[in-house]
Amino acid sequence: MQQNVNPLNETPVTPPAVPQVSIENGGIITAAGLQKHYSGVNVLNIDSVAIANGESFGLVGNNGAGKTTFFRLILDLIEASAGEVMIEGEPVARSDAWKQKVGSFLDEGFLIDFLTPDEYFTFTAKLYNKSEGDLNSFLESMQEFFNGEITGSGKLIRDLSKGNQKKTGIAAALLGDPQILILDEPFTALDPTSQIRLKRMLNELKRTRNITMLISSHDLNHVTEVCERIVVLEKGLVVKDIATGEETLKELESYFAV
Amino acid sequence: MPFSEKDKHNKSMLTILFKHYWLENKRSPGFYRNLAVTIFMGLMALYFVVIFVMLGFMLPQILAEVVPGSAPADLFHGGILYALIAMLFFRYLMQPLSRINLQAYQVLPLKRNTLVSYLLLKPLLNPANYLTLCLVIPFAISGIYPEYGVAGAFRFIFSLLSLIAFNTLMAPLLKRQFSNLLTGMLLLVVAAVPALLEYFGILSLFDLSRQLFTMMTGTPLVWIAAWLLPLGAYGLNRLYFAHNYYPETFEKKKTWRQSDTKRFSFMERFGKIGELISLEIKLVMRHKRTKSTLYTALLFLLYGLLFYPNPMYNESPGWLLFVAIFVTGTGMLMFGQWIINWDGSHFDFLMTRNIETSSYIRANYFLLMALCILSFIATTPYFLFGTYVIPYHVTALLYNAGVNIHVYLFAATFNTKRLELGKGSSMNMQGVSYKNFIVMIPLLLVPILLVKIFALFSADHIALIILSLLGLGGILFRESLIRMTERQFLKRKYALCTGFRKKE
Repeated sequence: MQQNVNPLNETPVTPPAVPQVSIENGGIITAAGLQKHYSGVNVLNIDSVAIANGESFGLVGNNGAGKTTFFRLILDLIEASAGEVMIEGEPVARSDAWKQKVGSFLDEGFLIDFLTPDEYFTFTAKLYNKSEGDLNSFLESMQEFFNGEITGSGKLIRDLSKGNQKKTGIAAALLGDPQILILDEPFTALDPTSQIRLKRMLNELKRTRNITMLISSHDLNHVTEVCERIVVLEKGLVVKDIATGEETLKELESYFAV
Repeated sequence: MPFSEKDKHNKSMLTILFKHYWLENKRSPGFYRNLAVTIFMGLMALYFVVIFVMLGFMLPQILAEVVPGSAPADLFHGGILYALIAMLFFRYLMQPLSRINLQAYQVLPLKRNTLVSYLLLKPLLNPANYLTLCLVIPFAISGIYPEYGVAGAFRFIFSLLSLIAFNTLMAPLLKRQFSNLLTGMLLLVVAAVPALLEYFGILSLFDLSRQLFTMMTGTPLVWIAAWLLPLGAYGLNRLYFAHNYYPETFEKKKTWRQSDTKRFSFMERFGKIGELISLEIKLVMRHKRTKSTLYTALLFLLYGLLFYPNPMYNESPGWLLFVAIFVTGTGMLMFGQWIINWDGSHFDFLMTRNIETSSYIRANYFLLMALCILSFIATTPYFLFGTYVIPYHVTALLYNAGVNIHVYLFAATFNTKRLELGKGSSMNMQGVSYKNFIVMIPLLLVPILLVKIFALFSADHIALIILSLLGLGGILFRESLIRMTERQFLKRKYALCTGFRKKE
């Protein structure tokens, strides 16, 4: 780390109750002074958030709280009005370096809808220099999640149901063996069985590969089951940052029950 | 009177459907935002109307000059059947199918007949389909009236109107029934048969047409007979829909096997860039709009046939260069204006995967380059018109490949409109803005002006050399030019992402 000391060092803003990495002790993803304005309105204002390697980070908040905006800033799809996001100490803005380490699925813009799922997986695999064997064993491991419906059908992605599109996108996000996985509301549009399978799959990934996960969700049950740390956004501000425990779900439910 | 009540209800439902169509257009966000494009299209339409009207009035003189000694009306009558076939083929390629969000209406208590009538009648209400009348009516005044009188002129107009209606109804039917390229080509062959028969003197469609339409113009019977063709076409359409009503039967989802696209897998040897190019090829082949543009581009390769045999143009360096740039660059010029923004629907994917910006820009560069070289090769038969064509084509190739590609790539970073590729139509202007027209200036105008100026001093070859050198420079220094585009792309990246996320 040949970098200069971050000015935020002197004033730790993280609540003491939560065991966290802060920016100085090397979170894999760090956001400092991050702001996004749209026509004068501040839709996101994050003083300092650091996500540790292997942490599973849940993001909750009502519509318009800034969850997707935060994810898009991490993925360098929008420009920050102030501050920056760093992955492994390198700013993401206008850089290609982080792309190999990050798998993501936010919405249908992450699909190529005129390909069949098989072609889409093959294309993605080639981008990550995977061999055909790697791809086949990966798809094999996904068959349970796919429920036998995605591969081999010859249908174009644009003709798939919303749920199957989502499964395709989530699988492709995992295809490059990412160190970091970013999913925006992965549980919506999935049937109950698939939701449970996805949860199992994510927990498995956490255990076996120590993958860092960022997951936003409207479903408090799911997100508390998968994530060790929950951040609540409201109107672009971090209002809660808690380590998941027995009481977390209740705490969140009472917070949102207005 | 239960029946007439029902009838009335159905009629009014039909007008409501048309009203919805009008509102859908008026309320689409593109309607006002695209004012510049609308105005440009309006001017183009006006231009064609004026040209057609003038041509219609002058046609008798022109015909008398080209074929002296025969009556203009006779010649026109003789050409009608050929025009009918040509127009039918043209419409088969160009006329968009009328659509309705069937599922939204199918569940409402609407009669199936009403929906089908709506789909069938919609093209008849589109004024663009009656452009030919701008030629027919003036000719009726200048060519038919002197021979057949007022009544004859009206009969002439009426019989041609019925043919237009016939074509307007038949083209969608053909399109619905034979929607793939192969049958399209087959139709072209079938359409060419009468011309061959005529050429070998076996059967003259010309004579048949002349006799038939001379009779039509001459007899009041036409007021009854002319209804038969459009009504027949309408009937055939109804028959088609009687068998194919449910959307799943006539909007079948095609399934794709891996092997369908294996043909392009040779591209994949070129690493990520090759992968990206083969992705773009799939994009072209799997969207209606890009596919119809591809066919149009193929047709435009023949554009030179209009110019090279004509001494009026082939002695003018400006025209020659225009035609050369146009035919040798057809594919590049047509697809180049969509480069990058045709990736709008999956742009977030491209920006977050393991694709270096430089690979992405290079893939687009090599795709356009391949198009340039392919259309240059495809147009080499024009060299048969004379060796004077060769320097123009070579200059055009160099200029297209060395200058125009870079201009297109650089300009593409300014076009932040998402291109909707699902709707197929050649006159579809969605996702096109005034910026596309500004790009045309260096592409076409600059070289033509340069040649024209040098031609004043009869030194047009020097202009060609200058343009070729410019092109060569662009090819030799492509790396630094591409890097410049890369930097520009990174600057514009967020604007592109945001723009492409907005659906129209």
